[in-house]
Amino acid sequence: MTAKLVILGVMIVIVCALIPPLVASSSSSGGGEKREFFIKARQYAYDPPRIIVNKGDELHIRLASLDVVHGFFLEGHDIDALIEPGVRGFKLRHPSEGKEFTDVNEVVFTVEHTGKFRYRCSHTCGTLHPFMQGELIVRPNYPFLAASGGTVGILISTLLVIFLAGKKDKDAMPGGDVQ
Amino acid sequence: MGNHPANSVDKAKDAPKDSGQVKPFRIDLFKTIPFLKKFCKLRSFQFLVIFPNLVIFVFFLYAGLFGSRVGNRNIIIIFVWIFWWFLLITFMVPFASRVWCVVCPFPFFGEWFQRGALIKVRSGKTGGLRNKMFGLNKKWPKALSNIWLQDIGFLALCTFSALFLTRPIVSVIVLGGLFVIATILAFFYRQRAFCMYVCPVSGFQGLYAMTSMIELRAVDPEVCRRECKTKNCLTGSEKGWACPWYQYVGKMERNNYCGLCMECVKSCPNDNISVFARPFCGDIHVKGYDESWKAFIMLALAMVYAVTLLGPWGTIKEWANIAEVGNWKGFGIYAGIIWFTALIGIPAVWALASWLGKLLAGDRSIPTKEIFIKYSYMLVPLGLLAWIAFSFPLIMINGAYIISTISDPLGWGWDLFGTADIPWRPILPEYTIYIQILLLLFGLFFALKRGYDVSLTLYQDKSQAVRSLIPTGVVCAVIIFAFLRLFIG
Repeated sequence: MTAKLVILGVMIVIVCALIPPLVASSSSSGGGEKREFFIKARQYAYDPPRIIVNKGDELHIRLASLDVVHGFFLEGHDIDALIEPGVRGFKLRHPSEGKEFTDVNEVVFTVEHTGKFRYRCSHTCGTLHPFMQGELIVRPNYPFLAASGGTVGILISTLLVIFLAGKKDKDAMPGGDVQ
Repeated sequence: MGNHPANSVDKAKDAPKDSGQVKPFRIDLFKTIPFLKKFCKLRSFQFLVIFPNLVIFVFFLYAGLFGSRVGNRNIIIIFVWIFWWFLLITFMVPFASRVWCVVCPFPFFGEWFQRGALIKVRSGKTGGLRNKMFGLNKKWPKALSNIWLQDIGFLALCTFSALFLTRPIVSVIVLGGLFVIATILAFFYRQRAFCMYVCPVSGFQGLYAMTSMIELRAVDPEVCRRECKTKNCLTGSEKGWACPWYQYVGKMERNNYCGLCMECVKSCPNDNISVFARPFCGDIHVKGYDESWKAFIMLALAMVYAVTLLGPWGTIKEWANIAEVGNWKGFGIYAGIIWFTALIGIPAVWALASWLGKLLAGDRSIPTKEIFIKYSYMLVPLGLLAWIAFSFPLIMINGAYIISTISDPLGWGWDLFGTADIPWRPILPEYTIYIQILLLLFGLFFALKRGYDVSLTLYQDKSQAVRSLIPTGVVCAVIIFAFLRLFIG
């Protein structure tokens, strides 16, 4: 397989990976809205299980527990909360600051990065505790779009490159097309 | 002695097309690392690597029985289902084949009973073997001489995974039960019948070991064919036990059923067996429906685990969590979906894609069955990489539990190394998705690339080979897209 074919294959993958994010970027309506969510935790899920917002939206999240003490650790946003059942409000801390929990009624933040961020229970709550999680999807979900395009790119480029490499070998054989 | 290749890098470009292996090169590790050969040739090799693991295993069982009932505070849950699983699927299998089988404690007592020794070898005669062995030494039933039992056993076990992944006592029952079965079977059947035909872990290890970057092989298979009449690797000698996995190294072309116990290295009279490093996905031949279905089952389970354990859907977790919730109807739906997807759904799609591939290739002389079985190899790298992509979040999210549990393995409030109270904190969780993307795309690339190598064993014409690959290639891409949707979308 020649270097040219390998370069062609890599270029196809890159182009395919770039197209969906570029299309999504040009058609994106933008964020900046105030979005309010009330997330209820129970063994071993959150309701709603998925929150879908746009980049730039300002999120106002209130939390409550319906059964035992749960946590709420939001990946990539430096948010960790402790939710006690039967209590109005919850305890919040920012792990990177290393401070203690403080009582709050809601957590407010602006989503600045796109993609999927999981919120997980950070307080042992029962047998399936390590798998209790929800999902914050910030659109446009560039990593997913690029990976999806990359999947198509790998399919096309691999098949095309091995086809062209085979054709080249065949043409180079004395007798050409004769098997 | 035959003409052993003088170089440690053995170029085998002229390997026959249908040998089931892709070998641009391989490196003789016994030549490049002489200590490794010396260690593997020690009579005490197996004992030295299994016994410490046995001690740890017994401690884990003790922790499961008497330690905390909270899963993430008990070492049996954290070290077996998170730490060991991650190491097994991410490093051991792809980089070191069945190296876990070398150290696995399950067959320890059974093999001790069969051999009547922990270290030394007994010469003598047992059946066609050159070793004296104890026990009934029956042959394993021919009808079960395949991996169907492992296929169904693993599927059955994983249907209840929400129980044993989270409850120490259930883990004790599962692991202790396998240990007892392995020991009992050794009384009745020859050598490692349990490992070969029953062990649920062995089944998928064998399949995914085809991708492994090491292999145990004859240095020069011609020496085996021309000069070796005794086949001591298979039958044993005064220096080594007969292969517990019933393998004859002279004809061994795949990693699937080699447990790397190194007895053949000791018993070979020609010093013609070594361990080689090789490229990823070196063995490319799936050889029967049982192996194909193992690939389908593993893929289906990776999807089910991704949905159940890494997904946000509480209803599915409730269905899986039968012991705590008791929703039998929900569990029935959950189990039904798993079994249908693994045994019927994915195989049906694969059969359709294989048939379409045959039509596209335009050569009706090759049976669809052969295309179906051979192309199922594509799901080996694909499935393995999907499992690795599933396992990365487990370790990155729950890694803190490993550090705290090592100080308090039973959840009794100990603090042996001062790490018991380390707070749970995931390791760079927001970057996990990028690792998963790379792994999944890598898996797709290798599925297609090696799929093409497989197709060349079916079709001489390269354009026919590519055309026949298109439908199964599209199915692989759709599968990867599904995983991306679950993990990242």
